[in-house]
Amino acid sequence: MAHVVQSLDQPSNYKDSQSRYDRQKQADLLSRSTTLYIGNLSFYTTEEQIYELFSKCTSPEEGGGIKRIIMGLDRNTRTPCGFCFVEYYTHAEALASLRYISGTKLDERIIRCDLDLGYREGRQFGRGKSGGQVRDEHRADYDPGRGGWGAQAQRLEIERRREVEERYQDTQDGPGAVAGGGGEWKQVGNANEQTLKRGRSPDDDDNSRETRARTDGAE
Amino acid sequence: MSYYRRKQYKGQDDFDYHDRRREMYDSPEEKLRATIIRLGEVDPVQEVPRLVEQIREFTPVNVSAVAESIRIAVTEQPFKIPYYAALLRLLHDAPVPGSEDAAGPSFGKQILEDFWKGFQAYLDRLAWRETRLCIHLFAHLTVAKVISAQTMYELLRSFTAVLDEFGVSHGRAKKAALCAAEGLMIAGPAVKENTGLNVFDLINPIQAYIESTSDVKGLVQPTIKLFANSEPIETADEILDAALAALQTLNSSDFAHTADCFLQPYLDFTPFTDAPFDLPSVLVPPEVIELDTFSTDSGEDAPAKKEEWPEYHVRLFDSDVTPDPTTPVGYALRTGLLDLIDIFEVNRKECARLLLEFPKWTPRGTFKPRPGAPAEEPVAGKDWQLESTIIETVLGMLMVLPEPPHKPIYYIALITEICKLSPGTVGPAVGKSIRKLYGFLADGLDVELSQRFSDWFSIHMSNFNFQWVWREWVPDITLSPQHPKRVFMRRAVDYEIRLSYYDRIFKTLPEPMQAPDSLVLPPEAPGPGYEYEDPVNPHHDSAQSVLELLRGRAKAEDVMAHLESVKNSLETTEGDANIDSLVRSIAVQSLLHIGSRSFSHFLNAIERYLPLLRNLASGSISTTGTSNLEGRMGILNAVSAYWKHNRHMIVIVFDKLMQYQIVDPTDVVSWAFTRGGESRLSSGHPSIGSLEWEIVQGALNKANGRVVIARRKVTTLRKEDDEKAALAKVSNGAAMEVDTEAKPDITHEESPALSSAMKAFAILTREQKAALSRTLDGFVDCLASATNPNPNAKSIVSENAWHNRANWNEDEWVTWETWGWYRHFCRMYSPYLRNYSATLGTISFAKVGNASDPAVELFRRIWNVATGQEA
Repeated sequence: MAHVVQSLDQPSNYKDSQSRYDRQKQADLLSRSTTLYIGNLSFYTTEEQIYELFSKCTSPEEGGGIKRIIMGLDRNTRTPCGFCFVEYYTHAEALASLRYISGTKLDERIIRCDLDLGYREGRQFGRGKSGGQVRDEHRADYDPGRGGWGAQAQRLEIERRREVEERYQDTQDGPGAVAGGGGEWKQVGNANEQTLKRGRSPDDDDNSRETRARTDGAE
Repeated sequence: MSYYRRKQYKGQDDFDYHDRRREMYDSPEEKLRATIIRLGEVDPVQEVPRLVEQIREFTPVNVSAVAESIRIAVTEQPFKIPYYAALLRLLHDAPVPGSEDAAGPSFGKQILEDFWKGFQAYLDRLAWRETRLCIHLFAHLTVAKVISAQTMYELLRSFTAVLDEFGVSHGRAKKAALCAAEGLMIAGPAVKENTGLNVFDLINPIQAYIESTSDVKGLVQPTIKLFANSEPIETADEILDAALAALQTLNSSDFAHTADCFLQPYLDFTPFTDAPFDLPSVLVPPEVIELDTFSTDSGEDAPAKKEEWPEYHVRLFDSDVTPDPTTPVGYALRTGLLDLIDIFEVNRKECARLLLEFPKWTPRGTFKPRPGAPAEEPVAGKDWQLESTIIETVLGMLMVLPEPPHKPIYYIALITEICKLSPGTVGPAVGKSIRKLYGFLADGLDVELSQRFSDWFSIHMSNFNFQWVWREWVPDITLSPQHPKRVFMRRAVDYEIRLSYYDRIFKTLPEPMQAPDSLVLPPEAPGPGYEYEDPVNPHHDSAQSVLELLRGRAKAEDVMAHLESVKNSLETTEGDANIDSLVRSIAVQSLLHIGSRSFSHFLNAIERYLPLLRNLASGSISTTGTSNLEGRMGILNAVSAYWKHNRHMIVIVFDKLMQYQIVDPTDVVSWAFTRGGESRLSSGHPSIGSLEWEIVQGALNKANGRVVIARRKVTTLRKEDDEKAALAKVSNGAAMEVDTEAKPDITHEESPALSSAMKAFAILTREQKAALSRTLDGFVDCLASATNPNPNAKSIVSENAWHNRANWNEDEWVTWETWGWYRHFCRMYSPYLRNYSATLGTISFAKVGNASDPAVELFRRIWNVATGQEA
């Protein structure tokens, strides 16, 4: 299929402007990517709302599911600034989201989804001068779901505001600050082995960090 | 190669980041291909002769390029097939350009020969949809006399032959039958003309096959009738039944009405009088049997293949509003729309546009003219509403049981796009559909469909400002609180809140529904429910001290040590209370509390304290032992207590606890049956509602998904191993040629990675079986227990009881819903259950009551049908 019509799950012209990979490598990573960049979110949308919508594209019976969600935050204020990453366990789930969710509404805003190269340390923060996303600084329209006029403008008092602003104040930087979400099933062997193994540090966490390190180092 | 138009979608507030206006310099051949594929975008009737000229004048002659373009067009734009038949018909009048030999095969014939090769390739890989659409083209060409009726008939016979295969799967039989039925509907006039051909030899096998499926039909009809096996129902049509009915109607008038159903533009040309093309004979290849399956020690292996069932599509409108799919023209329109919906799954926006343009490709007068278009004399018996027809067809697919071919969200998103394109005309059709489905709820709409309905409803409303006239359902809040309509309202609102937030949804409801006693809306916004928050709670201080440590990100060991001391002090004050369970609850609830701000906070909290959670799962605090059921159940109980006001979070947290292997899928299933539905029945019996089912399903899917991953791993490693072994053999052989001394055969050993993958596979299949077994056991306890039978389970299954449902109480409705989820469990997981049926059945059925009990009998019958045993 897709001779007579372009499939909606093709990679778009979205890119991570700070990625250090070459084009070929990027295309290769995207063709296997399990991570989506989600844009045009309301600043007030919660991870649970995102989870609910994006779980419609999961295939748990194929070993899939939502691995984790990383909320994009204003670098300075640590408040959501309108984007996030959704990481699935499988590539097919990410593609399904492009076909069925991108361009539909969440929290009454039309959101966009794009395949992403994968989360890297520090990418949860906005890159604009103000601390938020660059695109909000170019914006000249009034957008109540995104703090009103542009980024520097006065923010509208909305009931959800206080709660949302406090939510991520405890966000940390550095390796391990973002949870992995749980890895593949691992054999814990018989009861004795299990005792030994379980006495050690959380291996799921170690594992996801290893994976991340590998991807990062693969340039 | 892509031939789509590079155009932008310009929705009002629509983003389109998928626009890539790369400059393309198409070669002349590419341009010709594109022209062929885009045939008819303005006026197909005028374009066909022009295109014939273009193809004839094109040099160098490239038969296969033309044939391939037509193949793409036919299989991806089936609505244009009659015009491609017209194109091929005209090309048969044309000699091959430049060919000296005027008597040689025509251009059209050469293209058809090449086209046939493509068809054969589709058939060889059992690409059913493509195969069927090519048959449509052949059938049209048969009417155009370009293809011989005799060979067309034989082609169709090869497909009905499939129906006689021993043990043919329903999916294969259905697809083969549809190829034959649709081919005959179109080619009928030409086949029937030939008195030597007996159309009953095509129709009868289809009828016989359908009759053989009657036992299983009841399990997948969209309305639940516990008392009946599989009576025909009025609110839905089974697709094969519809095809057969349409075919019989057509045949009864010798296919005089085929012209009514399908465009036949080729009949406007001078009749074709040359010798017709003889289609070669074919054999439908057998289904490929997976060769690399492997079984576990017990000899049971979970299959990866989904079962196909009779396919019922709900009917929402009367036959004067939307065409009846059991009539010839209704079937043709319905299947035309279904193909479009299936093919354009990759691009829902294009799909929506093409659906609304569909009347262009149907005989004049089929649908009412668009508002504003010149009025036309309506055709008697037609003149249907396009939008209602489209929405009914899409919802018909969404409501297929046990599950639709694509994810439900596809059909939901497609309806959203259709509404966006033409809100004024589509909106009312959607509204009427919602009301109709809501009405079905009182008449036994299947519980899974009721769930899918609430899913669609909430996502649809989320895309259209949550505007729904709830007011008209206000009178229904006097029904029993467990009546399907009230269950639906509650769940729809719950799902809307998940996608939005409490206050927003609160405002969309009329006052009577905002009132807490209406039970439509939860009394307060979903939030955490930390049991130890209140200072009057006797364990408030102990819990606070744990909370402080966790907030301060104390080391897991320090938290464990502190919990031990809490435990010791509680032992002195609390006496014989279950201290272990109390400490576990404090620990888990406190952990959830520090992670309550968001999903990420929750993940961070549990990842930081995984060792603690593992200890708690083993029934202790600072030491690890073997995992212990009480410990694991305690964790799940603490989660459900903490999130009692936010049921969505229970599902999310359970999923991650399984992912991190704190609990097993079987534990979660156990929890759903023992604690999930507790206290809903006054008799104290367990029951399953939609939340409990969501939890059970999550657990079963987790178990099944792990087996899928493990199997994939074994397959990959085994392949690698085999390749290595082959390589070793080769190099060993090469060495032997040089070395005259005989070497001992290198025995091939399994790599350690492969053996551990095999071991993992064996463990996971065991767990899968355990989870399924626990589910079946759970349903036995709910509905058919020998030792503790639920009295309602048997009282509601008779026909009389069903007709008296207006007087049912809560217990009766809750039990009815549990029956519904049991049926869904059986049909949804039927491929797995079949595999394990011997052992699972023996274990669980040892616990069921006496066979003379109607509940026990029904329980067995559903199981037997789903597992393919004697019904």
